[in-house]
Parts: sequence; structure tokens; C-alpha cells
Amino acid sequence: MLNHKSEQFARIETTCGSLLCELQKIWDEVGEADGERDAMLLDLEQECLKVYMRKVDEAKECRTKLQRDIAIAKAEISDICASIGENPVHRDLKPGGNLKEELEAIGPLLEDMRRKNVERINQFIGVIDQIQKISNEILGFKEQDGNKLLVDDTNLSLRRLEELHRELHELQNEKINRLNQVQGHLNTINSLCTVLGMDFLQTVCRIHATLDDSNGAKDVSNNTIARLAAQIQSLQELKIKRMQKIQDLASALLELWHLMDTPAEEQRMFLNVTSKIAASEPEITEANMLSIDCIKNVEEEVSRLEQLKTSKMKEIVLKKKVELEDMCRRTHMVLEALISTDYSIEAMESGAIDPLYLLEQIDLQISKVREEAFSRKEILEKVEKWLVACEEESWLEEYNRDDNRYNAGRGAHLSLKRAEKARVVVNKIPAMVEVLTLKTTAWEKERGNEFLYDGRRLLSVLEDYSNLRQEKDLERQRQRDQKKLHGQLIAEQEALYGSKPSPSISGTKAPRMSTVGASDRKLSLGGAMLQQVKPEKPATRLHPNKKADYLNQNSFLNHQRSSGFAAHSVKRNSEVPGRVIKKQPLSAAKVRENESPAVRKPLSPVSFAVNSNANIVNFTEDQKKVKNGQRLNPGCQTPTGVPAKPTLIGDDENRTPKAMPIPMPTTPSTVSAPMLMAMTPATPATLGAYKVENVLERVQQVEYSFEELRAGFVLS
Amino acid sequence: MTAVHPPPAPGRELSNPPMDGISNLRFSNHSDHLLVSSWDKTVRLYDASANSLRGEFMHGGPVLDCCFHDDSSGFSASADNTVRRIVFSYGKEDILGRHDAPVRCIEYSYAAGQVITGSWDKTLKCWDPRGASGQERTLVGTYPQPERVYSLSLVGNRLVVATAGRHVNVYDLRNMSQPEQRRESSLKYQTRCVRCYPNGTGYALSSVEGRVAMEFFDLSEASQAKKYAFKCHRKSEAGRDIVYPVNAIAFHPVYGTFATGGCDGFVNVWDGNNKKRLYQYSKYPMSIAALSFSRDGRLLAVASSYTFEEGDKPHEPDAIFVRSVNEIEVKPKPKVYPNPPA
Repeated sequence: MLNHKSEQFARIETTCGSLLCELQKIWDEVGEADGERDAMLLDLEQECLKVYMRKVDEAKECRTKLQRDIAIAKAEISDICASIGENPVHRDLKPGGNLKEELEAIGPLLEDMRRKNVERINQFIGVIDQIQKISNEILGFKEQDGNKLLVDDTNLSLRRLEELHRELHELQNEKINRLNQVQGHLNTINSLCTVLGMDFLQTVCRIHATLDDSNGAKDVSNNTIARLAAQIQSLQELKIKRMQKIQDLASALLELWHLMDTPAEEQRMFLNVTSKIAASEPEITEANMLSIDCIKNVEEEVSRLEQLKTSKMKEIVLKKKVELEDMCRRTHMVLEALISTDYSIEAMESGAIDPLYLLEQIDLQISKVREEAFSRKEILEKVEKWLVACEEESWLEEYNRDDNRYNAGRGAHLSLKRAEKARVVVNKIPAMVEVLTLKTTAWEKERGNEFLYDGRRLLSVLEDYSNLRQEKDLERQRQRDQKKLHGQLIAEQEALYGSKPSPSISGTKAPRMSTVGASDRKLSLGGAMLQQVKPEKPATRLHPNKKADYLNQNSFLNHQRSSGFAAHSVKRNSEVPGRVIKKQPLSAAKVRENESPAVRKPLSPVSFAVNSNANIVNFTEDQKKVKNGQRLNPGCQTPTGVPAKPTLIGDDENRTPKAMPIPMPTTPSTVSAPMLMAMTPATPATLGAYKVENVLERVQQVEYSFEELRAGFVLS
Repeated sequence: MTAVHPPPAPGRELSNPPMDGISNLRFSNHSDHLLVSSWDKTVRLYDASANSLRGEFMHGGPVLDCCFHDDSSGFSASADNTVRRIVFSYGKEDILGRHDAPVRCIEYSYAAGQVITGSWDKTLKCWDPRGASGQERTLVGTYPQPERVYSLSLVGNRLVVATAGRHVNVYDLRNMSQPEQRRESSLKYQTRCVRCYPNGTGYALSSVEGRVAMEFFDLSEASQAKKYAFKCHRKSEAGRDIVYPVNAIAFHPVYGTFATGGCDGFVNVWDGNNKKRLYQYSKYPMSIAALSFSRDGRLLAVASSYTFEEGDKPHEPDAIFVRSVNEIEVKPKPKVYPNPPA
């Protein structure tokens, strides 16, 4: 090569030499002057030089270009190497090679590196894409096309790739975990929903639309998981609430069953409920166990049983009551005297009285009455005998008054016999009364209580009776005397006129009247007791000294009246006092209730309340005014300044605006406070002024570059 | 960078420097000729390799910028509002046109065949130098700018205009009606200089507050993520930072690295991709007013000249140094990862 080149140079030189020789020869022939020749030669030389110079410049240019290309390629290679983390290529170009060779050698290397780089970038993009997708899923972002992947192309090392792979793996794991978590949550919700009888799909769809799809991808974002957890929480709370409710119901149910011996068949329907009475929350897994329907069912059953129980209770109470009344009647005691409690069914039904308590009370009364009855038994027996005797006596009187009593007729002999017996009995009455009085007084002494017989003191009855009897005796005596007198008179008249009126017609009239009156009286004594003649008015008179008020009298009356009737009628009758009693205290209570504020009303708080109300109204109005005022006068600075002015507010109301800062925490004022702040243009205005000033300043102090300053250039 | 360097020669100082502040200097794209504009109302043409003054062209006012057209002619921007064309061989200048205020900067686009000037009259003007003399023939267009134009830079069909008020407009020369992008400087302080990357992907912008921002044209997130700014030309003294304006940026034509010059008199060479400083030349006597690499990157012209940053004051004489550049000073050093995979 070198040889070849030097040959070329030599040839050029020889051609130049030969040409010069030729030129010399021509000039010699022509006879060119030496000066001309020199000038020509110089010219020639300079032209040659110029050509050379141009070529050298071109070569330099070319070299620079090559160098630049190589530098660029190398820079790119080293860039790529650095970014993909490979050691810079050591198959570096031999320093001996020339630039073109170097460039040629570096070309494929660069291509190779570029390919590697692109491959690596693709790998990165793939991984980052997946990472982004998963993290989007986890964070719950919607996938956005605009969300461009950022591959840091300065660091594409394998280590980084490894890191990304690890990150991806972690994310995938997390996604799987989250899927499991979501699935777990869904399962929990599903079981909760089944137990609670709710629609699982609907519940889940409300959280996220993808969740109901059993096969499809489920949303695994934080938000969804949090909402699932919250849903579970709320469902669990609901479950616990319902569980407690149903367990309460179940225990009520069990109690009622136990109380009423409910047949097993009826029980069977609710066995599933009662079996869970002690179950803890997780143990309840049966479908629809805690559904609203189920709870309603149980509730209905409980209320049905409850009603049943109440009616049964009522029955029992009534039975007992009848028993008590019966017993009282038998022992001729007045129930009301003993019992102060009110046993009305209505009270029971209305819940004013606990039926159980009522039952207890009645039982207590029964035992009391029974005990009392025992102690009264002896006396009562005697009273019975005495009464029977009295009856016989009255019968005998009647009989004696019958003038045809000796007429032979059917049963006359029986009457005769009875009369005979009666006379014996009647003769014994005074002794009986005596004994009875003695016994009764003894009893009364022993008991320290009056012996009442059908509500009347027995001693007074006996006394009355004795008085009556004495009266009757006196009457009889007088009758006898009169009869005697009459007989004498008739005898005298007979002696005068010879005729004799029948004594049975004329003589019976007056005495019978009187006896009737007497018997009437007597009836009102004994008969009234026996026959339960309606003793309405007299009854009231019976205990004039009793301190019963009108209500009690009323109830007494009714009870008195009702005690003779069948149990069913009691209800109807007892309605009256029941109602009265019930109404009265209720209304009384109401009155009291009404009164209590009424009593307070005249006192200060009421007026205070009214005033305060008025104040509140005024206050809010004031506030409005304040707001308006401030809106109108944005220049005013303090909120208290304006409201002092409005003429609408009275003088003493002027305090309210002063007190305004104190009620600030009330809602309207807190709302208005920031508004006021926002509305007062003071700060914005100063801000604006500041800005303007700044701008002005800037305008006044325009920035200039050093050159402008030096040139004295000023913006016009 | 703390290693003590033997004080390298600042380079060859050119004889016959301008008599006043040097506003700009540029190497030719075809030769080692150097065109220098100065506040002394002249434009000078040097042959850097021969260290000879080839021509001196007087103007009506201080010359704020100049550029080559080809090796035989150039353009100048003058504080007397004129844009001139200088033909070196004839020593002849003709006025291409006028602005309404001093013309701060000038560029010639080989792609468009147009001269682009930016002025403190808040406009950009494009000129066709082939047209006959006279403004109405040569003026291609006037494009209003938000503020006074401080610096221009071209790459391919892209034109970056930096103005007062920290505005940055990016134009496509093929459609000058609208800026392609309107930006605000990412630096907080006045823009001193803007220069496009030789690969055409972005630009570097320096401010009066010792800072350079590296920007990218591509508005995609990935590209914008790469932008950054760095501090330079500062001196820490007794716990206080003294910050100097960064007056000049020059990109190396081969390696894409760049040199910055500040009022601290230092020239630094940076590797923008790897974010490294490659080299710092020993301090020059005055502020660095302008920098230029020769077409093959083997020479660097440094204008050490007071830039009036502290007003009128006595200062060292203005000088132009031309230094030859070692490859090691400008070749990028790829980032080495702490432990590259085996």
C-alpha cells in the first residue's frame, strides 16, 4: 500500500516534472521572459496549493464526522450498557484500527446493544405493565389508557428487572391473598345473609358490581375490601342484635310454654328457635334463622301465647274472685270491708295491675277470709239457728193470724205440728239471743273488732231484734187488752142490741196492718239478709258512720248487688266501678299532671321560657341582620358594631348583640362565622392592595439584564 | 474534584482583543475562524489557529451579538437597533433591517436560510439575507414576544426564545405564527442564556442565580420526568454562598457535553446525561462573557470580559482565550452502577 502510494506520488511528481520540462521547452521556444515565467510558476504553485488545501479541509471534515459518529455510537453503547447494567464491552476496538474500521466495527455492536436494549425495555414494559395493572386493581383505580408506563430507561439492569419481577411476584401474591380475603369476606357475608334471610347478591352488588360474579374477576381494591369488612361488621352487628332479640323471644317462649303446658306439637314448630337460646353468635348458622320473617313469626307466637296467658290469668282471677265472693257470702261477710284492692279485669287488661299480683292478693284474701270464717263459725251456726227460729216465729205469727187455721184441709195437720214445734222454738229465742249476744261480745272482745254480719254489726241486729220483740210483745199485750176491751164492748152492745159482729172481719184490720208493718220491719231485718232484697237506700243508711266515700259506697253497692248473681254478670256490673275508679284516678293524675306545669306556669321558668323563646327568635333575627348588615357594609370590621344600630330592636334587647360572641358555638352562628370571615373584604382587599403594590413595584422596578443596564436601555 | 490540578495553561490569548466588553464570540462551522462582537462597536474576525485578526467591522453602536453566514459573511445585532450583514472579504456591511429597540441576539438558520433576531422591543424578526437590501424586501416576519428577548438558540427547525420575565417560547421555524410551546423558565431568576442540545431533544437554560436547567421539548410524562436543574458557579465563603450569573453555555459538537461560563471566571464542562461535572478550567481573569467550541470540538474559545454585572467599575482588560480541548475533558463518563450484575 505504502509502496503503491509512494509510486503514485512519484508518478505525480514525474508527470509534474515532465510537464514542467515541457513548459520550459515551450517557454524557451517562445522566448518567454523570466519574470513572466516566475509569475506563471508562482501562480501554478499557488493554484496547486489551494487544491491541496481544499482537499485537506474536506478530509478534516470527514474525519470530524467519523469521530462524531463513533463518539455518538460509543456514547449510545455505553449508555445502553450503563442502563442495562452490563459491563461495558471489552471487545473494545483495537486502537490500531483506523476510524472507518472502528465505525464499521462499532456498527453491529451498536445494533446488538440496541436490540438488547429494546428487548430489555420490552421486558420491563411487560413487567411494569403487569405491576401497574395489579396495583391499579389493588388501589381500585379504573384502568386508564392515558396512564402511561414509565420505564426508567437509564436503569434497565437485570438486577432492576429482578427487583421488578420480585415486586410483581409480591403483588401477584398480594392479589391472590386479596382474592382469598375477598372470597372469605364473601363467604362470611353469604353465611350471614343466609342466616339473616337477606339477598346475598344484592348485598354484595351494592359494594361492587363484580363481586356477584362467581367466576369472573373480583374487584380486590382496598376500598372494596374495606367496604366488605364494614358490611360484615354491620351484618354481624345486625345478627347479634337479632340473635339477642330472638333469644329473648325464645326465653319468653320457653317460659310461656312452661307456664301453660303448651303441647309438644305446638312447641315443635319453634324448637329450632328455642334450641338456640344459649347459642353464641357463631353457632347460629341455620338459614333464615334470624330472618325478619322468622323473628316476626316467633314474635307473633310469643304475643299469641302472651295473650293466651293473660286470658287464662283472667279466668283464674275471675274464678278465684268468685270463690272469694262465694266464701264471703257463705260467711256473711262483706267483701269490700276486707278487701281494699281493686280486682277489676280492666285494670288487669290495661296492665295497671299485674295479674300475678292480683292473683296473689286474691289468694291472700281467700285465706284470710277462710280463717275469719273459721272463727266465726260457731257464732254463725247460732245465728243460723236463731234466724231459723225467727223465721219460724214469723211463720207462726202468720199462722196464728190465720183464722181458718184450724179448718180441716190438706196439710193442716202438718201446719199444726209445725206450729207446735215453732212455739217451742220461739220460746227458746230469747235464750238464744242471750247466748248469741254473749258469744258475740266475747268474740268482739277477743278480736277487738266488730262482728259484722252481712255488713251489719250482729250485736245491733240482735239488739234491734230484742227491741222489736219487746215492741211486739207490748203490741200483743195491748192487742190482748184491746181484744178484751172489745169483747166487753161487744158484750155490752150485744146486751144492748142483741147482735154480734164477726170479730174476724172488723177486728183483724187494724192489727193486721200493724203486724204487716212489723213483719215488714222484721223482714227488713232478717228477710233482707236472707232474701237479698235490694236494699239500695237502706243499705246506704246501714253504715252512716262508715267513712267510705262516694266511690266506695258505689262499689259496695254494686258488689252487694252483684254478689247474688252469676259470675258472668259480675263483669258487667263491675264495669261501672271499674270504670269510675279507673277513670277517676287517671283523670286525676292527668289533672295533676296538667296542674303541675300549671302550677309552675305562674312562676318564673315559664315566663323565662317564653322570654327565652322570644330571645331566640330575636337573636336569630339579629344574626340575620348582622349578616345582612355585613353584607351591606363590607367595610365594617367587627360583627358587633352593626347590630347595635338597628332600630327594630328594643333597648333591653340591645344586650343580645353584645352577648353574641358567647352563643357563637350554636349552629347558626358557627355557620355564619366563617362566612363573615369570608365576606369581610378586609383581608382580600389588603391582599389585593398588596398584590397591586407588588405589581406596581414590579412595574417600577422592571428587571433589566446587565446589557440593558449597560446600554442604558429603559422600557418606555 | 478536590484533587489539585496543576494550573493548566488558560489557552492561547488572541492578540488584538476588542477594546471593550465582549458580547459574543462564535467559531465558524467551516473553519477555525472566530467572529467576535463587542461593546466597542466592532465585530472582529480572527483566525484562531493562526492567531491573527482577519478583519474589523465598525458599527453605529455597541454590537450585542454576531453570527456566521458562511465563511465569507456574517450577521451582527447592534444596540443601534440595526441588523447588519457583513461581507468579510470586502469589509462591506449592509443593513438588513431595523428593530425598534437594541437588537440583543441573532442566529442564522441553515435549515430555513433565514436570519432570526431578537430585540428588546419585544419582538422576534426573521430576515431573508438573499433579498436585495432594504427592510421591506428582507423582512420575512415580525413575531411579538411577551417580553424583551434575551437569548435565542436554534437546532434543526426548532427555535427557543428566552425573554425577560422568565418566558420561554419554543417555535417551529416552518410555522412561526404561533409558538409551538409557551413555557415558563423552571428557574426562579432572570434568564441569561439558552442553548439547544445538539441532538435536538431539548435545551439548557441558565439564570443569573448560578443555576442551569436542563429541559426537554417532548411534553410526554416520561420525557418531562427527565428534566432537572443544577447549581453551579457558586462560591462558599464563610458559610455564605456567593452566587454568580451563568453567562454562557456551549455544547460540544461531538460529545454533546457542554461548557458553562459564569461571572466567577470559571469554565465548567458538564455531562448532562450522567449529571456529572467533567472538568473545571482554571479561573480566568474576568467573568466569562461567551464560549464557543470549534466545529470539530478541538478548540474552545473563551471570552473573559467584564459583563457589567456590578455596574461600571474598573476591571481586568477584556481577553479572548483559545484553548485546545483534551478528549478527557469533554468525553462523557457513563454512569457506573455501584455493583453491576456479574
